[in-house]
Amino acid sequence: MAGICCGVVGEGDTPAPLEPTTRPSRRRSLDILPLKYIADMAVPPSDGSRKRPKLDLRDRDNVVQNCDESTGHKVVKKEAKVEIHDNISETKNVTVADASEVEDSPKFGVTSVCGRRRDMEDSVSVRPSFTQGFHYFGVFDGHGCSHVATMCKERLHEIVNEEIDSARENLEWKLTMENGFARMDDEVNRRSQSNQTFTCRCELQTPHCDAVGSTAVVAIVTPDKLVVSNCGDSRAVLCRKGVAIPLSSDHKPDRPDELLRVQSKGGRVIYWDGPRVLGVLAMSRAIGDNYLKPYVISEPEVTVTERTEEDECLILASDGLWDVVSNETACGVVRMCLKAQKPPSPPGSPGSDVAADGSDRACSDASILLTKLALARHSSDNVSVVVVDLRRDQRQSSNSN
Amino acid sequence: MSPNNPSTIVSDAVARHHTHVVSPHQCCSAVVQEIAAPVSTVWSVVRRFDNPQAYKHFVKSCHVILGDGDVGTLREVRVISGLPAAVSTERLDVLDDERHVIGFSMVGGDHRLSNYRSVTILHPRSATDTVVVESYVVDVPAGNTTEDTRVFVDTILRCNLQSLAKFAENLTNKLHQR
Repeated sequence: MAGICCGVVGEGDTPAPLEPTTRPSRRRSLDILPLKYIADMAVPPSDGSRKRPKLDLRDRDNVVQNCDESTGHKVVKKEAKVEIHDNISETKNVTVADASEVEDSPKFGVTSVCGRRRDMEDSVSVRPSFTQGFHYFGVFDGHGCSHVATMCKERLHEIVNEEIDSARENLEWKLTMENGFARMDDEVNRRSQSNQTFTCRCELQTPHCDAVGSTAVVAIVTPDKLVVSNCGDSRAVLCRKGVAIPLSSDHKPDRPDELLRVQSKGGRVIYWDGPRVLGVLAMSRAIGDNYLKPYVISEPEVTVTERTEEDECLILASDGLWDVVSNETACGVVRMCLKAQKPPSPPGSPGSDVAADGSDRACSDASILLTKLALARHSSDNVSVVVVDLRRDQRQSSNSN
Repeated sequence: MSPNNPSTIVSDAVARHHTHVVSPHQCCSAVVQEIAAPVSTVWSVVRRFDNPQAYKHFVKSCHVILGDGDVGTLREVRVISGLPAAVSTERLDVLDDERHVIGFSMVGGDHRLSNYRSVTILHPRSATDTVVVESYVVDVPAGNTTEDTRVFVDTILRCNLQSLAKFAENLTNKLHQR
């Protein structure tokens, strides 16, 4: 993989968006991969913050495309164009009653690709300033179908927002996030119990979808804290001064405390193509999957980490990445992309806009590079990656690292 | 093995279908489900060898690759993601509309259930209630125990039959509203 990494360094201070090389050998290897990039654009906060946002038409098209592809026999081999949506737009500053310092939303990059699977069942949700200067990032890796992950993408941040509002003066993150995840799980299961037929844009046309679920790893970035809530086997990793610090722990059924919890409820972990609850599901916690309760629960593990000046970036990703890329390697790749960024010019100078754009492009480059690395290492799953730049005073940074 | 259910009248001819030849390194079991729906309604769903996804939630899609629904029909079943299986090729072995018996075997695919054979029988308990019994025999995969295999398969079958109950009961309710 040194070739991919060196390519970024070789491109100089401001790397251009990654393009496939013209060399036949590289092209042939890339042609094998059915790359379908879905670069998600941030949804700006609306005035009615609690109002359910309209369904993104682009997302609908993507889902429909996945359905068409899954019913066809032809394997799509040509590489689709890589869509990059840089977050150039300015985020409106909000007035906070408690007069705490309001921080601009951090720069980020997102990629979410189908990879070698037939269907795309991952979802990513990015909500800058989703409430009182807090920023929300979520990765949801669905299984069985995509609609639980899609529901999480569309609703979980709204539910969490309501929980934060109701706990205004006594915000306790662990309880708030546990309530949010429990309500999300209830909503999913209530829907699957409903007699009315709903239209899920996939081959599953049955109203009872107990066997569908999703992971959920959510990071809330505040001016002074990182709050990570995890349920399932996606993961969040902090890169601090070059060191990879996991902010979540994967809920695999053979994790000793998870194994004991499942057994204490009368369940069993059976090794059937890896450890699985009742031999069926390869994770011990998930949103949905009603048929496996009470063994598979939706309770998140919540970590609250104080931010420091040494924080460089936060990476959220599905196991399509983490199964083939270590925490340390991922941090190294992102760190390199951030370093390759051109030092920002002082505010007011003619180049400041370019610098701001470049800073965001670094995160996009990092997420794309991590995704390509996962695919090159033969990840057999959907891959979704979110990279968040946590560096402070980005515009004055001397890039001392 | 006959199900020990005193409320179920099992004729000798029907009970014979639940008698599986079990070899060493195989295991067998049965799952029972009561459904508040007439046997004719339940049977109309169960007998559709070409449409198992109507009630089997682990089925993503099904394509008949040989035959037209009678004994000998082959189907290819694609399984939803997240499960330890991808595709199963299955043959219809028994279809008895009079006695409400259907049986199939797995003859190929990408899964660990070798030599799987199952039989499902519907027993009318009353004009509005049906008892479904599904029994099976299957090889115990290398590295697993008989208990492992039984827990895994029983979980899948129990989920299928619970879904069948909901589906058939909803179907019955719709018919009444009509």
